[in-house]
Formats: sequence, structure tokens, C-alpha cells
Amino acid sequence: MASVTLKEVSKKWGDFTAVDNISLEVGDEEFMVLLGPSGCGKTTTMRMVAGLEEPSNGEIFIGEKRVNDELPKDRDVAMVFQNYGLYPHMTVYENIRYPLKVRKVAKQLQEEQVHIAAEKVQLRHLLQRRPRELSGGQRQRVALARAIVRTPTVFLMDEPLSNLDAKLRVNMRAELKHLQHELKITTIYVTHDQIEAMTLADRVAVMHEGVISQLDSPEKIYNDPANLFVAGFIGSPSMNLIPGSLQEGIFHHSEFSLKTARGDHEKCVMGIRPEDLAITSPGDGIFSGQVYSFELTGESTLITLQLGQERIIVRGTKDFRVGIDEKVGIVLNSENCFLFDAETQQRMKF
Amino acid sequence: MIFSQSTKKQILDLLQFLMILLAASVILVPIYWIVSGAFKKQVDIFQLKLLFTPTLENFQIIFQDPYDLQEKLLNSTLVAFFTVVIAIPLATMAAYSFSRFRLKGERFMFVTILATQFVPAVVIVLPFFILFRDLGILDTRLALVLVNLSLIMPFAIWMIKGFIDSIPLDTEEAALVDGSSRIQVIINVVVPMVLPGVITAGIFCFILSWNEFLFAVIITTNKAVTLPVGLSMFHAEEGVLWNLISAAGIIIMMPMFVLATLIQRHFVQGMTMGAVR
Repeated sequence: MASVTLKEVSKKWGDFTAVDNISLEVGDEEFMVLLGPSGCGKTTTMRMVAGLEEPSNGEIFIGEKRVNDELPKDRDVAMVFQNYGLYPHMTVYENIRYPLKVRKVAKQLQEEQVHIAAEKVQLRHLLQRRPRELSGGQRQRVALARAIVRTPTVFLMDEPLSNLDAKLRVNMRAELKHLQHELKITTIYVTHDQIEAMTLADRVAVMHEGVISQLDSPEKIYNDPANLFVAGFIGSPSMNLIPGSLQEGIFHHSEFSLKTARGDHEKCVMGIRPEDLAITSPGDGIFSGQVYSFELTGESTLITLQLGQERIIVRGTKDFRVGIDEKVGIVLNSENCFLFDAETQQRMKF
Repeated sequence: MIFSQSTKKQILDLLQFLMILLAASVILVPIYWIVSGAFKKQVDIFQLKLLFTPTLENFQIIFQDPYDLQEKLLNSTLVAFFTVVIAIPLATMAAYSFSRFRLKGERFMFVTILATQFVPAVVIVLPFFILFRDLGILDTRLALVLVNLSLIMPFAIWMIKGFIDSIPLDTEEAALVDGSSRIQVIINVVVPMVLPGVITAGIFCFILSWNEFLFAVIITTNKAVTLPVGLSMFHAEEGVLWNLISAAGIIIMMPMFVLATLIQRHFVQGMTMGAVR
């Protein structure tokens, strides 16, 4: 097992900068998730660790070893691809065995290890099938088995669950977490799905436009976002972001004013999560709004309110019911509000 | 006149059948003429009788002196075989490079290679003749292999590149991370995945080489004469010996017939093969 260190790593294609001078240290046995929207540079970062892309600048270390000039085969990493990357002309057995075969492991040992890996991902009964005869979930297991069959120093997973249906994704997520706990292998996992990030990661690196916006534990990322991007990206539905100004510690919006913090700031954004807002009767709340839409999600309800120019979302209990266009009051605890500088996009702390 | 829906369909089906019959006749009548001619005597050759007494005599004559078709058969087989054996591995490597690596001037190179296919063969036959004369390899199988390679390689590269392009990059990258070198990726992953395409290209190349006439007729005179050129020697005082030409034509066509059947199977497999998504 080993740590993975990126020192001021960049990747450029012509004028386009995919990854911009990032530094990151993934601890030994740590499960690190690179999270961000499409095009944020997360997959490129992982591919540079795998050796499939060459960094334009910076250094990459696996353990103590600088691997910039090493070929992928010499980095002792295993990777699970979004589209699985299985070999369609080989059986499941041959797919799983392939990393051992090219490394010229003894045949007896190859067979034993393939069976152990297949057992771990419950594939033993499918070893003689070809990938095209498998379901999406089974293919994903084959890709996983191929990755774990030789116990690499680092696992790299590039959106491995994104092609699975919602139910299977939940099951596989739990299995991945269990597998990583069992094998204790340093893992870098790329996803755009924040639920995956929150549930799997020891730490999350939220990436945006080629840089790491915030690197923290899932709890900190959710409860203590460092900037507007992280605040808006994490959470489903995402945090309500209401622009306004701060004067003598009072946040002013066209529809309401709220005592939040100390200080003055001309342009700022107040962020508050839907679950930290509650609906009450009009006149009772801190401010009021008109119901724009009402959605039932099963475990809760989502009420979208028109608040001047903005729309905000409130999460209600599963039994809550309200009509569209109805006027309602909103209560909130100012301690749950976050304030961000509208220009620098950074969190304002007082 | 108003036709019912089913009558309309019947008329359309009939028209369709007649069109297919017409198209098939255009292709099959000459073949029928050759096949029947191969089993006719010289005197019967221009008679359009459907019933005649078949004879195998023509096949005996063409393998005897002075025709000795077995020599031409051997030349054609060796030339086509070595052309394919050399062309396909080289074309596969070239196609892989064109498909996977971004090289300086790569597009220009690819277009230039393809453009050679559009140069009329008759334009370059003289330079080839002079070149081979100066090298002292006129009328040799080596000269034919070289000339066929120049004709076949662009086609083979273009065809195999198409198959390699269709392999998802993920599969190759997975093999690289799994511990393969680039050459192992090509041998263990790429070639097995494009095998139907490579076989199809190989068979096409064999057919092109087997049927090549223009260069062979110019650069061979005696020792390296191939089957298509050999056909031109069936002359006698009584004129063109169509019965012998027909018999020799069948000898030329037989391997092509077998290969065409094989191609069909591999071609379909090549088209439907793809990595698992």
C-alpha cells in the first residue's frame, strides 16, 4: 500500500488547461473521492496518476517513488473504467486473469487468485461466460475482480457506477465500500455524483475548472463549504443562494432582512440548505413567499417558493401539503446560514 | 383501376422479383457461359444448346504441355500468399499507428497513401518496369509481390484502421494499466478484437493480388507468369480456344469462390463485433 502525492500538477492541451497546478496528498489506505461536474479535470487528474496522460507540469509520487516517467504497467495501480474496459474476446476467467498473465505469475497461483477475486465479487458461477453475456452489474464486478486480483498499491476508479441503474448503484456502492475496507488499498475514486462521494469517501476533493475548490471530509464539505461553488454543488437539492447585502450585521434582500453576522459587505450571497428552512403560516415567519411548485419525493416534500426575483427550495415533511400560488411564511435559524462574498465567491467568516 | 392493398403488395413483390432476376442474370449469364464452356468441346462452344455431352478433356489439356497451367497456378498462389503474408502484419501496425497516435503530418501521410489508390495503374506501370529491369528482377515472383504490395497496402491500411477505430480506447488503456506493454496490447487485445476485420482485409488482398493482370502482363514474360496472364496463351491456328480459357477460368475462379464465401461470414462478424459497452 502507498500514499499518492501530486505536487503542483498541471495538464494543458494547447491553450486549454484541464488541470491547473493542483497539489494533493492521498494518505495510505485512504479513500479519496475527486468530485466535480463534467470537464472539471477530475478524470484527467486520475489518468495522470495512472500514467495514461503525461502531466504538463508538476510531479506525481506513488509512495516515495516519482512516477512521472513510469509507464502505466510499472506504476502498480489498478483501474476500473466507466465503460468497464473488459476484453470482449476473453471469458470472465481470462479477463480477471489477464493482469497476472502479463506479469507472468505462476499458472497455479493465477488460478487460485482468480478464484479468490471472483469469490470476493460473487462471480464464481460466471467464470466461463463472455462479457457480452453479462448484465451491467456483472460486468462491473468483472472489472472490479480484475482490479483486485493482484492486490495493487493504488486503486483508481473512474465513475465505475455511472452506467448502472439506481438500485444496483446503491448495492454496488456498499460493496465497494466494504471491499476497500477489507483490502485496505489506497483508492482514488472519480465521480460527479455527490451521494457516491459523501457515502464512500474518507476525504473529498471538490474540483472546479481544473482546480481543487475544497479538500475536506464529507461532513466538512457539506456543513462548512469553503466557497459558492462547493455550496451550490453539494446537496440535493442544492443550497439556496440568495444575493443581497450586509449592513451592520443584517443581511438585506428585497423581500426580507435578517440578522446574521457582524460587519458590512456591499455584495454578498446568503446560502441556506432546504432542510434548514421550514414553512409556517403567512405572517408568522421571518419572511414570506408564494408557492411556485410542490413535489413529493417519498421521504419528504420539496416546496419551491418565489421570493422576489429568486426561487428557493424548502424541504418539508412527507405529510406536508400546500397548493400552488398559496402564500406561506418561512422560518429559519440564522446560525444555519452561510455568507459568501459575491465577487471572490469565497465564504465570509466573522 | 383500383387495386386492393394485398394486390398492390403482390404486384410490388413480383416487380421486385423480376428486378432481382434481371440483376442476377447480368451477373450469372457470363459465369454460366464460362462454366458450361469449360465442359464443352471446341466445336460445341458457340452453340447455345443447353444440353450437351460434358467432357473433362479441357482440364487435362490445360495442365499439359505447352500450356502447363500448374506453373501459373503455383506462381499465382505464391505471389498472392506472400503478398498477403507481408501486407497484413505491416498494414495492421500502420493502421494501429494511424488510429492511435497523433503524429506530425499524419493526416497528410494517410491521405497520400490513400491517394495512390486513385492513380491509374497504367500510369505507373512503366516506372515499375524500368525499376525492376534495373534491379534485374523482371519476370520474377519477387517483382510481382513488390508491385502487389504497393497496390494492396493502402487498401489494407484503410480497411484495418476502420476496424481499429471502432475499438473503445478504454479497453486498450485497461490492458496498459493491467501490465501490458504497447506491443502486448496490440497482440493480446487489438488483434484478437479486429481479427474478423483483418481476415476480411487479408481475403480481399488475396483476391486483388490473385486477379492482378496489368502489371503481371508487363513485367512477366515466361517464368513468373500468373493465371490471368496465362489465359492469353490459349490461341491456336483455329483462333481463340474458348473451351480451354473457360476451363482455366474455372481454375482461377474456384479459390475466389471459396474465399468469397469465407469473407461473407467474417464480414458480417466484423461488422457486428464491438467491445462491450
